This record gives sequence, C-alpha cells and structure tokens, in this order.
Amino acid sequence: MEVLKVENLSKNYGQIKALKEVNFSVPAGTVFGILGPNGSGKTTLLGIIMDVLKASGGSYRLFGQEPTHEHRKQIGTLLETPNFYHYMTAVQNLKVSAAIKERGEDDIDRVLEIVNLAARKNSRFSTYSLGMKQRLAIGAALLGNPDVLVFDEPTNGLDPVGIAEIRELIKKLSQQGKTIIMASHLLDEVEKVCTHVAILKQGNLLTYGDVNEILVNEDVVEIRSSEMSRMEDVMKRIPGHTSIKLSEGNLHLLFPAGTADLASVNRFCFDNGITLSHLQLKKKSLESKFFELTN
Amino acid sequence: MMKLLKTEWLKLKNYNAFIVLSSFLVLGVFTTNYIVYTVNKNIVGNVNTGGLVSSFNPYSFSMTWQTTSYATGWLLMLPALLLIILVTNEFTYKTNRQNIIDGWSREEFINVKLALALIIAVCMTILVFITALLFGFASGTDFSLNGFSHVGYFFLKSLSYNLIAVLMGVWIRRTGFAIGLYFIYLGAENIISQLLDVWSIKLRSEHGIDLGSMGDYLPMNASDGLLTFPDNPLKSIAKSNLPTDYIWLVIVLAAGYLVLFYWLSRRKIIKSDL
Repeated sequence: MEVLKVENLSKNYGQIKALKEVNFSVPAGTVFGILGPNGSGKTTLLGIIMDVLKASGGSYRLFGQEPTHEHRKQIGTLLETPNFYHYMTAVQNLKVSAAIKERGEDDIDRVLEIVNLAARKNSRFSTYSLGMKQRLAIGAALLGNPDVLVFDEPTNGLDPVGIAEIRELIKKLSQQGKTIIMASHLLDEVEKVCTHVAILKQGNLLTYGDVNEILVNEDVVEIRSSEMSRMEDVMKRIPGHTSIKLSEGNLHLLFPAGTADLASVNRFCFDNGITLSHLQLKKKSLESKFFELTN
Repeated sequence: MMKLLKTEWLKLKNYNAFIVLSSFLVLGVFTTNYIVYTVNKNIVGNVNTGGLVSSFNPYSFSMTWQTTSYATGWLLMLPALLLIILVTNEFTYKTNRQNIIDGWSREEFINVKLALALIIAVCMTILVFITALLFGFASGTDFSLNGFSHVGYFFLKSLSYNLIAVLMGVWIRRTGFAIGLYFIYLGAENIISQLLDVWSIKLRSEHGIDLGSMGDYLPMNASDGLLTFPDNPLKSIAKSNLPTDYIWLVIVLAAGYLVLFYWLSRRKIIKSDL
C-alpha cells in the first residue's frame, strides 16, 4: 500500500515556483528520504501534505484516500522547527499534542524517555536549548506510536551524540515496520538510514526510487599507475565502459551497474603493458550522485 | 466542540497573562462601576441644577442595567487585547501550524478561537448582570427588569470587540502590529463616527432629512451606539433636536458586522498559508 501519493503537486509564491508538478509515491514500510539543497522545496512539499500550506496545483493522497485532518492524527510529524507553547513545560505541551491527536496522556512519559528529556520534563519549553527543543519535537511526533512518521531535518540543532541517537532511533522505528518520510539536506544522514530517496532541485523532482537503484546505477572502477596519460589512452579501448574521467590523481572507469569486473580490467591493463598500483571498485556515493544530478 | 475547548483550556490555564488579565477584568468591572456610583452619588448629586439632576440615580432599577452595561463597556478593550495576544501568539510560535499538523482541521482551529471570543463575551455579560444587580440593590430600589435590553446590547458590543480582535489577530499575525492597529482603528472610526453624527444633525436641522445618527452605522460604533449613559433630564430636553435613534437598524447592522468579522476570520485561516 502507498502511504503517500503525490500527483503533479505545484506551489507558487508569486512569480517563484517553489514546486513544479512533482509526482512520487511512498510505499508503506520504507524510510523515504527527500533530499535537496536549501530552497529546493522539501519543506514546502511536506507543508502542503500537512495542510499548513495550500498547493497551487496538483493533489496528494494519504493512505490511498483523499486527505483529511483525521489522517494527520495517524502521522507523527516534525516540520521545519519545533513549535511549542513557550510558557508551558514539556509535559504540558505534550498534553496539548495528545489531546489534538486524540491519544492518551499515558504515552507522554514513554516518549520523553526515548528522547532523553524525562529529567527536564517539568521545565518550561522556553528554557530548553535548541537540541532539547528538537528532541521534544521528535518526542511529540512519537506520541501514540504512529505507523507513519514525517521528519523534516530531524537532526537540526543536535550535537554529534544526538545525531547518532536520532539515526539509531530512525533505524529502530524502520525495523518495527514504520514508514518514515524524512527531508534532509544532509546527504550522509539520508544515505545511512533511507531505503528510498527523492531528489529535489529548485522545485523539480530530479529522480526518486530505491536508494540502491539510484546510487548503484553505475559501477566506478578506480585505477592508478605511474603512466597516467598513456593509461588514459589505452583504457579508452576497454570494452563495456560508458565513460572515463580523471579524478584527484586517479582514473575513474564507469560501467553500467553490475557489469564491472576488476579481474578483466587488471588483465586488460597487463596485456597493454600497464602495471596498476591501485585498483578498486567504488559504489557511487550519494554525494557524487547528488552533485551530478543537481549541478 | 467540547473536545476542542478542553484542549484550548490546556493552553489557557497555564498562561499567566490570561490569569492576570482575567483577574484585572473582574476587579475592574466592580471598581469602575463603584467609581461611577460614588461620583454620581457624592458629586453629581450635589450640583445645583434647579432640582432637575438631583433626582437622577443611574444605578437604581431599572437604570442599573444601562449604566452598568455602559460603564463596563469601557473595559471591553481588555478581553479584546487578551484575544489578540492569544491568537497572535499562535502565529508567533507557529503553534497554529503544529495544531494543524497534529490533526486539527483549519476550521477547528479558527472555530475554537471564535468560540473563545463568544465565551468571553458571555462571561463578561454575566459579570455585568451580577454587577448591575448588586449596585441596583445597593441603591435601595425595587428590582425591575425594565431596560434589561441594555445587557443584551452589552453582549453584542462585547462580541463585536472580541470578534474584531480575532479578525485583527488572524490577519495581522504580529502581536504589536495587531494591537496597534486595533487601537488606531478604534480611534479612527470614532472620529469618523463623530463627523457623521454632526452631518446627521445638520441634515435634520437644515434639510429636514432624518437618517438617524449615521456614526452608529460603522462596524465598532454600531454596537457602541446602542450603549449610552442613561439620559439625565437635562440631556433628554436637549436630545429632542437630535436625529432619531433607529435602534433596530443599528442592532441589525451590529449583527451583520458580527457575521462579517466571523466570515473574514474563517476565510483567512481556511484559505491562506499558515
């Protein structure tokens, strides 16, 4: 089942087109990363889905149905910034969230334990650090143990330990079969936890799908020798490759996904009188894919 | 709606400004009326006006309903101020977004604020009723419900002030600007209203056209115009030259403006980005 299906979704702010006819769907049980540089439309997209922004065109469906506010009660969401009543304590704020979500207040202590805020649960929100505010927002999203979670930049303001903890939490939630939609500009974060990814740039959806399909659409064989210029000429004749480029003192041979064979490359070089000092098969990183797509 | 109001109460009961302003308001209603009562009794009552004013007791039954409603009307800016703060706080801290994200519909979000405006107006009216009753008995006259319609006018005025406050809150969104604009609007409309009243008098005296006090046809002044201090005998004589008060027209206009404020507030929340 699809948790979310987005069809031709557009959003204009005057002349600026923040989203341009975006289409994708999020299968249940996936960790779906929405990736893009600042201003690419990630938060706008999630804002529309959460009904805090109005779409200029297109539509979306939640749980296969026309979206209503009742659907949002089944989704735990952290959108952009932690939004709480500054004069109220963590517990008082979570009581408001629980009342709106129509979930019992008995879950409040559990979520505060998960986000390590139990000791400060009776402190006012205004006294919290940025990291603590972010943790509380994640805690609020977890209230009632929803099956779908939406996290917009979940590690904002967290220290390295906090980032690692949230990453582990997301992995754990995913193992429990929950669907997680996560927007981020931190490539490393997405690469480490996501099963699916959508890449946005200036409101356009560049690509989306299984993270392995998107990342491993090319094999990169990295080689080096003492005769780089002659090797470059020779390697242009190697069968099956799609392109060759020099990168930081190495030569990168690109093959269609799953077709690179290191032994064949080594033999081809040896047969052509080139001795390799370095030979490695590299999976294309999300970072390189991201830069390739967005630049 | 009860569920929504219970959730709203969770926000209010922990908000110090709400507690403090509400307490001031209750105290203020009694104090203001006590001052008017005392001033009239000790000062106005001693002025020599050929025996016309000394018999005038504004807190006697049945004038107490009108006097208390009129005097308390001056305090209605306080709950309006509170409502502006409560609404704009939601925008300042983006909790309006969070309420929607957590599962309220936009209609529910604005409806509970409008319901709050209504509840505050009802509470203020009850307070006026109790105060009028107390001062009425204190003045030593027999209970009477004559003139009780002024308590109804007070309710209209209170609701009108509150709904304009919600309207300003949802359209302006910034606390300072919204409060500033609220007072500027009150002042500006009052000045325009005075000018219209002068024009109304001129039309009647020079051309014999009686369109009523046109100043009362403006949004705030419609409900304001319904509440006046009881006429003393001197003023009653002078009033014979003024345009007629078309009370029902003013009531219909005041109710119409309420519907307009309600509709504009809802429309803004339902249609725009939060």
